[in-house]
Amino acid sequence: MDIVEIRHLKKYFKDGSQVVKALDGIDLSIEKGKFTVIVGASGSGKTTLLNTMAGLYKPTEGTVMVNGLDLSKMGEEQLTVFRRRKIGFVFQEYNLIPELTIKENIIFPLALDDARIDAAYFSNLVHLLGLENCLDACPHMLSGGAQQCTAIARALITKPSIVLADEPTGSFDMKTTQNVAGLLKMTAATFHQTLVVITHNLDLAQLADRVVRLQDGKIV
Amino acid sequence: MKHMTGVLASRSFRVNRMRNLIAVSAIMLTTILFTTVTTIGMGATESITLTMQMLKGSRSDGDFHNMTAKQYESLEDADFIREYGLRMPVGFLTNTVRHNIEFDVLDSVQADLTFCMPVHGSIPKAENEIVTSDAALRELGVEPEVGAEVAIAFTAHGREYQMDMMVSGWFEATSEQLSMMWAGTAFRDAHPDIFEYTYDRDREMAGTYYSDFTAVSTAGLQEKLDHWVWQMGGAPDEANSGHLSATINAVTNPALEPMTLLLGAVIIVLFVLCGYLLIYNVFDIAVMQEIRRYGLYRTVGMSRRQIKKLINLQALWLSSVGIPLGLLIGYFVGKATLPYMMHTLSSSYENVAINVSPSPIVFVGAAVLAAFTVFLSTRKPVRAAVNIPPIEAFRYVETAAGRKTTKKSTAGTSLFRLAWSNLGRNKRRSAFIAASLSLCVILLNSIGIAADSVDIEKQVSYSIRTDFVVVNALSKNILEGFTRREHGLGQEVIAAVNAQPGVDGASAIYKNTLDDRNVTYDFPVAFDYTGTEEETGISYAGTNDGIVFHLGDDGHTLCNVYGMEETALARMDIQEGEADAHRLYRKMADGEGVLLGVPSDMGTSVLNPVFDLLEVGDMITVFKNGEPMMELPVLAKAAITGDDMEIGYTVNGTFEVGRDGLFLYLPTCIYTRIYDDPVIYKYSFDVEEEQRDSMSEFLESYVTNVDPGLGYASAEEARKDAVTTRTMLRFVGGLLGMIFGAAGVLNLVNTIITSILARRHEFATMQSIGMTARQLTRMMIWESVYYAIGACMAGLLLSVVLAFTVVKILISGIWYFTFHFTLVPAAIVCILLLLVAAVLPVTALKIFNKGSIVEKLRVAE
Amino acid sequence: MREHVILRTGNLKKYYGKGETQVHALDGVNLEIEAGKFVAIIGTSGSGKSTLLNLLGGLDTPTSGTVTIGNTELSGLKEEQLTVFRRRRIGFIFQNYNLIPTLNVWENIVFPVAMDGQKPDKKFIEEIVGLLGLEQKIYSLPNSLSGGQQQRVAIARALASKPDIVLADEPTGNLDSRTSDHVVQLLRMTSRKFRQTIIMITHNPEIAQLADQTIRIEDGRIVSGL
Repeated sequence: MDIVEIRHLKKYFKDGSQVVKALDGIDLSIEKGKFTVIVGASGSGKTTLLNTMAGLYKPTEGTVMVNGLDLSKMGEEQLTVFRRRKIGFVFQEYNLIPELTIKENIIFPLALDDARIDAAYFSNLVHLLGLENCLDACPHMLSGGAQQCTAIARALITKPSIVLADEPTGSFDMKTTQNVAGLLKMTAATFHQTLVVITHNLDLAQLADRVVRLQDGKIV
Repeated sequence: MKHMTGVLASRSFRVNRMRNLIAVSAIMLTTILFTTVTTIGMGATESITLTMQMLKGSRSDGDFHNMTAKQYESLEDADFIREYGLRMPVGFLTNTVRHNIEFDVLDSVQADLTFCMPVHGSIPKAENEIVTSDAALRELGVEPEVGAEVAIAFTAHGREYQMDMMVSGWFEATSEQLSMMWAGTAFRDAHPDIFEYTYDRDREMAGTYYSDFTAVSTAGLQEKLDHWVWQMGGAPDEANSGHLSATINAVTNPALEPMTLLLGAVIIVLFVLCGYLLIYNVFDIAVMQEIRRYGLYRTVGMSRRQIKKLINLQALWLSSVGIPLGLLIGYFVGKATLPYMMHTLSSSYENVAINVSPSPIVFVGAAVLAAFTVFLSTRKPVRAAVNIPPIEAFRYVETAAGRKTTKKSTAGTSLFRLAWSNLGRNKRRSAFIAASLSLCVILLNSIGIAADSVDIEKQVSYSIRTDFVVVNALSKNILEGFTRREHGLGQEVIAAVNAQPGVDGASAIYKNTLDDRNVTYDFPVAFDYTGTEEETGISYAGTNDGIVFHLGDDGHTLCNVYGMEETALARMDIQEGEADAHRLYRKMADGEGVLLGVPSDMGTSVLNPVFDLLEVGDMITVFKNGEPMMELPVLAKAAITGDDMEIGYTVNGTFEVGRDGLFLYLPTCIYTRIYDDPVIYKYSFDVEEEQRDSMSEFLESYVTNVDPGLGYASAEEARKDAVTTRTMLRFVGGLLGMIFGAAGVLNLVNTIITSILARRHEFATMQSIGMTARQLTRMMIWESVYYAIGACMAGLLLSVVLAFTVVKILISGIWYFTFHFTLVPAAIVCILLLLVAAVLPVTALKIFNKGSIVEKLRVAE
Repeated sequence: MREHVILRTGNLKKYYGKGETQVHALDGVNLEIEAGKFVAIIGTSGSGKSTLLNLLGGLDTPTSGTVTIGNTELSGLKEEQLTVFRRRRIGFIFQNYNLIPTLNVWENIVFPVAMDGQKPDKKFIEEIVGLLGLEQKIYSLPNSLSGGQQQRVAIARALASKPDIVLADEPTGNLDSRTSDHVVQLLRMTSRKFRQTIIMITHNPEIAQLADQTIRIEDGRIVSGL
């Protein structure tokens, strides 16, 4: 089953009087439960593609269906709620909320909805990512790797339809990169999550089920 | 989510100490502004009202006169009355010389309302007990003490009474001429003969009922009073009907002028604007600093409403600290400065009672205004925070370039250009800061113009024409005035003055009184109606234009008539007819005519057309004892000032004698021929400059020690009075200007500090690739100074515009202002602003740009 | 025969903190770098390479030891002089580009020169701009450029004042491999062309291989490559 279906996706930006064609006609289907990697040169449109899948950008043309929902037809607030419940997003800069503890950071999307926390799922997740001992710590106390693991936990806590990651190991050295990449893949596999990752790291790309290459806004 | 919003809000609240401090300061400052002004305004109004009430002798909302016992008792049923007192007049004591004592029966409510409650001792209970003032007791030859025995004598129903009374209590006198002595109802019950009601037959006051009252509400009071009087059988409009009537105490309930309301509205708008600019900017900056965080929240799934709630919650907390603090500080600042302000007013209002009660209106009003301003100011920043799409907020770098992507010039690297382009990062914010600073410039300049425009000499020349005058003390009480022969000046004081060195150009000024009703005047003016005043028994005639003349015994008008020497006449402002004072005086001395005075528009020589009833050449016939005595044509007309009518701003004396009647000026020789027992009401004279101080001292000691029934006025005093208006304007204006200035500077400080904090990383970059610390400082100084320059330009421009529009209009409505334009206050403030702006960044950088380059480069956010 | 030594350090130490928890970021580094060389300094994170670079560029002060560039010993200079020295003799390239957001590409490039009160050598700057492929973007503001483009601007800026030494701190860290390669080639080319010394920090051994000389640092000390 294809959990993501993208048809003829175009995303153009205005740069003063010029038009930048970030995405210029993308057709993409992503199978549920698979680990997909997107690669491409800088400026090829990978981040734009990921953001559009997450509902952070509205398509200029074309459709984006996630789990059967047509994102291009949804309003701003609907997309926010959708993102909160159905998408897990991992950023390169982790983007944890500095004034919340690790635990609070992880359950944040749930708290926004006043939703119940599945306690067993939570402790399972935390254990897998090695965060049991730092639940009460604040993000700045942890190493980069641990912070990224927190971000991964946060992305997974809502049992989203897909997990998107934009250069999740971009700023790490080799050892940490390997660790985090492995954890990401394993956690996603354990919970049967669909994983889409942007990276320029070839080692990480090798762990994927499928590699999609982008160039100048098109898939090659 | 309530829980999470609360958690987020409180955590980020705790982290942002500097922002909290500045936001609380901003809210506090705005609240202080509102509270101080409200406190001073209300306090001033209260104090002045109280003083006027004490001068008038009553703080009631109104009073009833001339009631029968039954009418008095029915007051009990009046639902618009909160409480009412009992007053049964008896008469003036006849065994007094200098100090007048009115003897009445009062109850304690009445005594309380009319400032007669005993401070020492207690109210009268037995029939022989009385309460009165210390001045009254001394007049009766007794030292003020409880239990003292005092003898009184009075006339009622044509009979003379003499009694011995005992002092049950006494109070400090408020007036130098008149005091109240009162007994309780026991006295009334013991003397039914005195209190027999005969008013409808002989207008005898003893036996009638009077009552001062306080109303439940002052809304529609006049209608209620009229209705009541009408119901009770009185005729509200006819004061001479011999029936009951009622009047509202104009001092307690002055009519609300639309001008005051307009001014109040303008002030409120101005203050709200000042607060708005400050608080808006503070929140705008605070929100923008956190924009990435809000973008993060949004990206992770927080909805717009949740973010709005987050920000509003923090605004609420900040207000709940800032507003109460502001209320407290503002109240005390207002309370502390009020006495000073009243003191500068006190030469105009003697014995000012200062009263500042912590009225809930002040606090509630100021709090509501402040909360409203905070609410208004935060709307836009909140909306901006909430509407920015998550991705943009996330990668937000604060530049005008947030929207732009190219910049066509290549010149941006000199220090001033760099500074200038930094201002362009957020054009609206830069404009707001400049506007906030410029408010201070505009306000101080406008008030400076108003203060400079206070025309002192105009005021002086209105209230007194010579260096000094000596009058009866009554003339100095604007509610009293000179009306009776017995209040005339004696020869002793005139001789004493003349004996002093340096006296020059002296003239005794004679005036007719209510005792001279046998001399009247006829002239070609037609009257439309006549009537009689029921309280005084004086008849009057009036025209449909609203001019009323009091009539003498023979039915012709009394007028206000003066006799003077040539030196005095020469000082008057002749507008029509014989212009040469010497020729005019000679002609008048030969009985060939009279000088007619016409009230002028204050401060001008323009004859007020309403009072300008005769032309030069019109004939005035003088009647004495009913027979025509002489014919005097109008030789000239003069524009008369307060000094020509009585003294200063006192008009009550002329009001009670001649009413709006003609003002006629005659030479002394003619005056003394016309009037029996002519009396002098004023002695005017100049004094050589070196002797003036000693003359002041002499007069001061004379009226204190020798003859307390006298008073004096001097040009110096009048000048001082006039100056107080200017001083007060400068003072209040200065206070407000400082608050506005503080707000503007706070705005600037906040912007600079947050700018530095947000750009530390950028500064470190620039320093690492070659900008020295000195160059950085200079760049920041330029940025700060640009704000100040913008503020100065806007401030100067708007000051000029406002000066020639709003200020000019406001001022031209008030006679003692003469518009005087100046830009000096604005210039001074601008220089100060530029200095402050230049110094601020230096200090701010030292404090907030600490650390090595490497440390600052690591600051990732 | 050794060529002219442009940069030399003498027993350079940088310690943080005190007592037991004291961190020895650099623990006695002695370096000599010849003019015109392209040197890579390689080490794991925490090895002290960034600290070393900051000290070499005078952005930080050593706990003890000396840094000498040309004939000037950096510790003898006051803040003003140091900054001026830096802007004339040293070019910096940072990992996160650090362009000034309110200035366009051209203005960013000539910034150090302008701060010096000099008029930029237009021909020279245009040449660099051409070399780096930035002609179309002269008036663009940084926020409209991709990561690779911004890094190229940063390089141009570092070269604009014709410095003796260019210090680059992980210049390819945020770039994908193809762009990384490209950037390093550019650095090598400009170093040849303008005879500059380039000292580059990286954790990526493949990138390091493109340099003339690789110095390895570990735990605050040089372990090989001199």
